[in-house]
Amino acid sequence: MARLSKDDVLRLAHLARIELSNDEIEEFLIELNEVLAYFQQLQSLDTKGIIETNQVNGLTNVMRDDQLIDYGYAPRVLLKNLPLKMDDQIQVKRMVE
Amino acid sequence: MAKKKALNKWPKKVKTMSSKYLPTIGIECHVQLRTKTKLFSGADNDARTAKPNTLINHIDFGLPGALPVFNREALHLAVRAALALGVEPQLFSTFDRKHYFYPDLPMGYQITQYDQPVIIGGQVEYTLNGELKRVSITRAHLEADAGKSSHPGTKDYSLVDLNRAGTPLLEIVSEPDMHSAAEARAFAEELYLLMCYAEVTDGDLYHGNMRFDVNVSLSDNDKLGVRSETKNLNSFRAVEKAVDYEIKRQSELLERNQLVVQETRGWNEAKQKTIPQRSKENADDYRYMPDPDLPPIEIDPKYIKQVESEMPKLPAFWRNELSALGLSSSQSNILLEAGVNFAEAKYMDLVLDFSSRGLNTKALVNWLVNVDIPLVKTDSSLIRTDRNKLYLDVLNLVEAGKLSSTNTKELIAAALKSSEVLSNISAYASQAGLLQQSDSSQLEETIKEILFTNAEAVKDVKAGQDKAIGFLIGQVMAKTSGQANPEVARQLIEKLIKQA
Repeated sequence: MARLSKDDVLRLAHLARIELSNDEIEEFLIELNEVLAYFQQLQSLDTKGIIETNQVNGLTNVMRDDQLIDYGYAPRVLLKNLPLKMDDQIQVKRMVE
Repeated sequence: MAKKKALNKWPKKVKTMSSKYLPTIGIECHVQLRTKTKLFSGADNDARTAKPNTLINHIDFGLPGALPVFNREALHLAVRAALALGVEPQLFSTFDRKHYFYPDLPMGYQITQYDQPVIIGGQVEYTLNGELKRVSITRAHLEADAGKSSHPGTKDYSLVDLNRAGTPLLEIVSEPDMHSAAEARAFAEELYLLMCYAEVTDGDLYHGNMRFDVNVSLSDNDKLGVRSETKNLNSFRAVEKAVDYEIKRQSELLERNQLVVQETRGWNEAKQKTIPQRSKENADDYRYMPDPDLPPIEIDPKYIKQVESEMPKLPAFWRNELSALGLSSSQSNILLEAGVNFAEAKYMDLVLDFSSRGLNTKALVNWLVNVDIPLVKTDSSLIRTDRNKLYLDVLNLVEAGKLSSTNTKELIAAALKSSEVLSNISAYASQAGLLQQSDSSQLEETIKEILFTNAEAVKDVKAGQDKAIGFLIGQVMAKTSGQANPEVARQLIEKLIKQA
């Protein structure tokens, strides 16, 4: 059974842009391995002859016409919850030097 | 995933190259699709002049629980793109989530197509220095664009505008089939023409409608070297310069026995060099997964046939037509490029109209390439002139033998610049002294006079000296202030001397 190492947890934290303390690393190492073990029950299923799929609802071609849609609210409503904004733009930590 | 292809045989040209390293270049191109609305929402897709964050909704804003719904027109344009690349689209394709965190990506993932893209295969053919080249296409997939970020001066923050978020893109990935900066540029230009003429994109390069990433590696054996990727080039010149720079930079490293690092670089236009960028994730760090919100796309072969039957005319069609009219390939390119860059002038419609009506299309394309397009390049306001009337009127005057080729150019230029001239072309031509006399009865009197006063020259003509005819024509032109048609004058001189 594959188990996550401390390095795996650190890499996941980096990808999620989350800083972890040493205690948290230990904590998540245990928790994530428990989650993984839970899903690993699936490995016991016999999948021989079953075609790979990426969805189970059987839908295809759910499409809309290329028409403007009025969603019933002003776009600026969406900006209300922003923690920081400036001139109707979303203000974030500087991305470039 | 993409099929791996054996490395191309070394081209013959390599022997004449100064460097011992063979450059290998592959290009990825993001083409913005010309839809009215976004890829997965009904927001307006034209972000060019919109105020920040006005073309957004819960879907593009990445609010939890929002349901993206695929835009039918994006599929239509992808099918067109496939046909333009000479391949049928995939009958089955799927959408996937590509995860990474960046402030311009509200959902925390980009919706794209990973292992089952809408296009696999295809090619682009172009001519460089008279040589036909072919670049294979690996794949092309649909994906949603991210937002736009800006970084005001010395401030400690960046600003994000999500108007572009969700804009439909087709990312076209080429095989590493190119071996010089000139080839890379020529491929990019041809791909641009192809996508514009197929009406897949509006091709507005200034607004980033086509952005190129170039992968460059060098090798002195038959294995590919380590590559760098220079991202987000938005002009053909930048493509050429960036490839040139990378070839030079990498060969200098290799000459000094240093290693090329696999990395992402950006093009600094001011410094004319590529610079390393902060590294992003590797493919397996993107944690691709099928998007459960977006069911797969199945294309009916009948639909492909239908799109095929409605395909706009592609550059290859025009090149054949234009070369049959005697245009060189560089002249054809000038016209094809103007057909997109100055779309409002409707050059190609005009050419098609002339040829379908059996009019002198060869004359028309020469006027366009030699007079009209060069003028429009210096003054883009001339785009709006009604060229249908202009060229029909000019053609009538030329066919009546009333315009010399120099005066034709002058008249076209005048009519392009002034609506008054355009509204009465022949009156203007007459007032401005541009018309030549082809009326033989009027000319005949003048010529008789000239023959009488130049008896010596007439004798020479009779003795078979061709030069003397030229002299006499010159006299006729002088006497008529250049308004005689020299060909008509020659015929009359010959006729009158014979009769004498």
